[in-house]
This record gives sequence, C-alpha cells and structure tokens, in this order.
Amino acid sequence: MKTSQKPSEPTSLLGRLLRGAYWYGAEWYWTVTGGVILALIILITILAPVVSPYDPITTVGGPFERPGGGQVVLLAPKGSGIASREGLAVAVFYNTTPSVIAEEYGMTPRPYQVNKDLFAKVRAGEADAVLLSARDAAQALEENPDFVQVGEAFGPRFLLGTDNLGRDIVSRLIWGARAVLAVAILSALFSAAIGVPLGLLSGFFGGWFDRTLSLIMDSIYSFPGLILAIAVAAVLGTGVVNIAIAISVVYIPTYFRMTRSQVLSIKEELYVEAARALGARQREVLGMYIFPNVISTLVVVFSLNVADAILTEAGLAFLGLGLQPPTPDWGFDLNKGKAYLPRGYWWPITFPGMMITLVALGFSLLGEGLGEILNPRLTEE
Amino acid sequence: MRSLGRYLLVRTLLTIPMIFVLVTLVFLILRVMPGDPVKSSIRPGAPQEYIDEIRHTLGLDKPLYVQYGEYLWDLLHFDLGTTLSPVRGQSVSEQIWEHFPATLELALAGILVTAVVGVGAGAYAAHHRRSVADYSLRLYAIIVYAIPVFWLGLMFQLIFGVWLRWFPIAGRISSLAVAPEHVTGLYTLDSLLTGNWVAFKDSVMHLILPAMTLGLYLSGVFVRLTRSNMLQILKMDFITAARARGIPERTVVYGHALKNALIPIITMMGLQFALLLAGAVLTESTFSWPGLGRFLVERITYRDFPSIQGAVVVFAVLVASVSLLVDVLYAWIDPRIRY
Repeated sequence: MKTSQKPSEPTSLLGRLLRGAYWYGAEWYWTVTGGVILALIILITILAPVVSPYDPITTVGGPFERPGGGQVVLLAPKGSGIASREGLAVAVFYNTTPSVIAEEYGMTPRPYQVNKDLFAKVRAGEADAVLLSARDAAQALEENPDFVQVGEAFGPRFLLGTDNLGRDIVSRLIWGARAVLAVAILSALFSAAIGVPLGLLSGFFGGWFDRTLSLIMDSIYSFPGLILAIAVAAVLGTGVVNIAIAISVVYIPTYFRMTRSQVLSIKEELYVEAARALGARQREVLGMYIFPNVISTLVVVFSLNVADAILTEAGLAFLGLGLQPPTPDWGFDLNKGKAYLPRGYWWPITFPGMMITLVALGFSLLGEGLGEILNPRLTEE
Repeated sequence: MRSLGRYLLVRTLLTIPMIFVLVTLVFLILRVMPGDPVKSSIRPGAPQEYIDEIRHTLGLDKPLYVQYGEYLWDLLHFDLGTTLSPVRGQSVSEQIWEHFPATLELALAGILVTAVVGVGAGAYAAHHRRSVADYSLRLYAIIVYAIPVFWLGLMFQLIFGVWLRWFPIAGRISSLAVAPEHVTGLYTLDSLLTGNWVAFKDSVMHLILPAMTLGLYLSGVFVRLTRSNMLQILKMDFITAARARGIPERTVVYGHALKNALIPIITMMGLQFALLLAGAVLTESTFSWPGLGRFLVERITYRDFPSIQGAVVVFAVLVASVSLLVDVLYAWIDPRIRY
C-alpha cells in the first residue's frame, strides 16, 4: 500500500490531503471512500425533488413490479385497425400496473378479476384491446395468436421495482435518505449539545459533581442503547424531533465520556498552566485553552456517532417506532417488506437495507479515517 | 488485604448504584416524560371513570415521590406489577420469566458464533499482519458493524429460508406438540436432556439462522479486539522465546499467543453484552423468536406500560449482573486484579 517513491514533504493542507495515502497508509483510502459515499448521498438528498423519478408516497404502478419492470403493452385483435391508444376501452386486471396507468395514457380501464381471460372480454366486445404488463406479453401472444401488439411498450419503468402499494422504490430510497439523515444528524447534535458541555464542566471542576455525573453517564452508557431508545420513543411518540430526542438520550454519555477524559489530560498540559499563571480566568481557560483542543476528537466521535444513530433510527423504524407513515423511511420499509418475504419478493427488502448499510458505512469509514489522521495516537496498533 | 472475597464484595456494592441509576432512569422516562401511558393504552372515548380507575390501580394518581418509593419497594420484592393489555391483570414477572429462556438460548448461540468467527478471524488477521487477508478482515469488521442486524437476518431468511429452503424462518420450533419437556426452557438443551431427537433437530434448525445473524453482527467487534490484543501479545518476550526454541509458528500463534489474548477478550465480551441484547431485540423481531425483546416490542404496540417497564428493568439488571460476573471471573483468572 506504499507508493514506491517518497513524495516531497507536503506543505499545505491540500498537499497533505492529496498525498494522504503515503502518510496514513491504507486507512486513507477508507476515509476517501467514506467521504465520497457521503458526498454522493448528501447530493442526492439535496436534489431529491429533481432526481426522484416519482412521488415516493403515491401509487404509480402495480404492487411488486419487478426491478426494471413496469412497462405495459397494448394488444389488439388482428386487423382491428387500432393505431392510437387514446380513447380506447382496455381490459386490465385489478391492482396491476396496467390498471394504474391506463387512465394516465388516455384510455378507459375495464378492470377484471385476475383469474378472468382478458382476451375473451375483447372478443366478446366488452373492450377494444388488452393492456398487459410487458413481462407477460410474449406468452400471452403465443396463447392468443389472433392478437398483435400495437406500438412499442410504454409507461413507467421502475429501476428497482415497486413495493406492496405500487410505490416506486427508487423514489422511496431517495426521499428516505432525507428522513434518515435528518433524524441521525439532529440526534447527534442534540447529544453533543448536552454531552460536551457536561463533560467539559465535569472534567474541569471534578469533585462530587463529577463523580455523580460520571456514575449516571456510565450507567446509561452500559445500557443497551436501542432498548433505551425504544422506551423513550414509546413514550414520546413519532415525529422527526421526538425520534431524534429518543436516540440522542442514548448517545449523550458517549460525548460526555470522550470530552471528560480529554479535559482531564489537557488540563495538565503546560500551556494551560501557563495561561493560568498569566492570570486567565476559569472561564477563559476552559473556553479558550481546553475546548479548542477537544474539537478534533469531537469531530471523529461525531462522525462515528452519526453512523450509530442511523442504525438505531433504522432499528426503531423496523420495530414500528420510527417516523409516521407514509413518510419514506428505510427501516419502516423493511418492516413492511418483511411480511412479503416468504412469497419471494426480494426487492422491497434488499435495497433499503443496502442504503442503511451504505450510509452507516460512509460515516464509519470517515470517522475511522479522520481518527487516524487527526489523532494518530488513537490507532489500535 | 487483597483477597478475592473482598474484591467480590466491593465489586458487588459498586453494582448497586449502577442498577439504582438505571432503574430511576426507567421511572423518569415512563412516568415523568410527557405522554400518558394509560390514556394511550385505552381506546379513545373511554369514560373518564374507567381511566381514573386504572390510574388508581396502577397508583398513578399519587404524588410522584410516593410513586417512586412504591416502585423501588416493589422492585426490591421482585414485584413488577400486572399487565394492562392485551389481557389485564397477568403477572409481569411471570410473563418475563416465560420469555427469558428463548432470549438466553439465542444469546448463547450468538456468542458461540461470534467466538468462533470473530476470535478466529481476528487471530488470523494478527498472524498475517498487513497482508491482503488482514486488510480484508479489518474491512469486514467495519462493514459488518454498519449492516443493520435485522437486515442481515432478512437476507438470511431470503437466501437460506425462501430460496434454498434449508432452514425455517420463524419461531423456535415447528409446533408446540414437538416441544421438549420443560427443564431449563432452552429447547436445544431440554431436548438433549430428555433424549427427544425430533425436537432437538427441529429446534437446532430453527436456531441456526437467528444465531448466525446475531453472531455475525457481533463478530466485527471481536475481529478488531482479538486482532489488536494478539498484536500486543505477539510482541512479548515469551513469544520470542517460544519462537527461539523452534516451536512451530502455528503453535506459537494459535496456542501460546491466542490463549493469553483470550483473557482480555472475555472481559470485552462482558462489555459487549449490551450490544448483544440490543442485537437480540432486533433479531427476535426479525425471526419471530418469542424472547424478551419481542415481548417488549409487542407490549409497546399494546401500550402495556407495566410490561414495558418490567422488561426494561430486567434488561438493566441483566447488564449490570453480567458486567459484575465478568469482572469477578477476570479477577479469579488473574490474581493481579484486586482492590
């Protein structure tokens, strides 16, 4: 993992960043990977209204349309002379993509039960043509040689398929990123806003205040985070802010412990002693000499903590304690998709999980890498 | 005086404030935070007298400090109260006791998987430091930590349950008719003890996927722990000495070094117990495994707050006891650890 030639000593921060792999080894690539993943996800989150192909909470196709599927074809009797699809009365099945999109393309849907023969309906004159999903068309034409396809396949195309309510999964993933990131980052900010000041004061002043607070924080820290969040979420109820609070309770001790231990070691440093000797007040020592030196570790802890918060949010949502539906939320989509898994519908449960992993991984890699770069002493080796 | 007895005493006394803090926290969350558990447990539009009656039976109409005193007093007597819904008046502690063996069985099986996969892979990574295998295993540790445990479970269900049809995807046993006689409550152990081979095979088949899910989820942490511990130990003098005596490298690494690395790893296992429980709650929900975690989640949907309170308190006591147990075990193995 080393470059063959030792590069010249980098002088600027940019130089250090560009030659990171030489200075920090393989971990550097992890940091970059994490950064790139997050940059892409955040870009998609911001551009959600533009890049999302459909509205995430409305039915745009039939239920469980396969990935890459969703298009329909129009099949008419041979020699019927149908050229345009506008104004046709078409035979379709209930609750399938064709029935959803028939009206959208200017046709009158005549929905029938799934076990009915649509072609017989057309032969009986009850409808002009058959509208069928493209994946079934080839076999249907083979069984009904007196029909031909009119025009090209048309309609929507669902890159990753649709869920049980016929909602586009790609759109739900894109909009879901917003909800998940909002909750995770908000909760990490809440935790930091409470944990860091408490840790600063506790480490700086010591005494019974420190001992009591440390006992409380250590106890919370030792407790399974998800279970604590479940209890808080069960009382507070849904909503972005409530869920963020429920998760933040869990991670306050993480910030408290980190800040406190940093303060304990920094306050013994010579420059702090020098500041005191020069007559700095307590407030100034804490604010101007100690706190700025905690920030670099804080950045690392924050990044790793957001990864944890994302997983906790997903866990809560999976247990049905997350955001209120129909808000797109990856964890909740997994909860819904689970019921249909025994029937082999793999796509509604595969992609949201991948997204959770990817985002959590992005924050983990970034945090691990930053830890390496900002504070090489943290390395486990 | 550096006796094990003294250590045991001091360590036990230190556990008490921790349990006290957690129990108080549960009280604060469930009774002081905004939100009325009784109102939310009852259909909207129920008569006020009915709500008042329930509040009275639960003691929620008393001042907060009285409630807190009664709550602590009941806990001291292992009284977790009675349920509100779906059925009113059942003993919460009995229900928790019923669900506990399932969680214990899953947790033990998960730890077994973690120990084999995590410790084995970690030792291998340390042995082949800076090799491709080392970097891949470290990457594995990071990735596996980022995978939501319930999604891992869903993927296992899909691949091994639905597509390959190797394992069942829900429950502990196919039907209660084949369930073994109750000895410990652990189906695999009970069926072995009673010689019920049908039940043994069935319960093992049910256990494999949840145990793999939980075990692999935790394994990432152990790959890292084992690796860093092994790296430290491999630098020690006795390893150099062993190598100098011409003992095969494999024996030095997996015999001498790993054996010595295991002690801190066992301690870490105690610290990861909380992670294990959180993972178990999600794994249980994924696999409809009738344990404590699923009980907790199910009761949340019914807004049965005595059960929620009871389950969370039990989890708190469990965590504190396991950390006590591990510390004592550590002190017993390593005589240098004393107060």
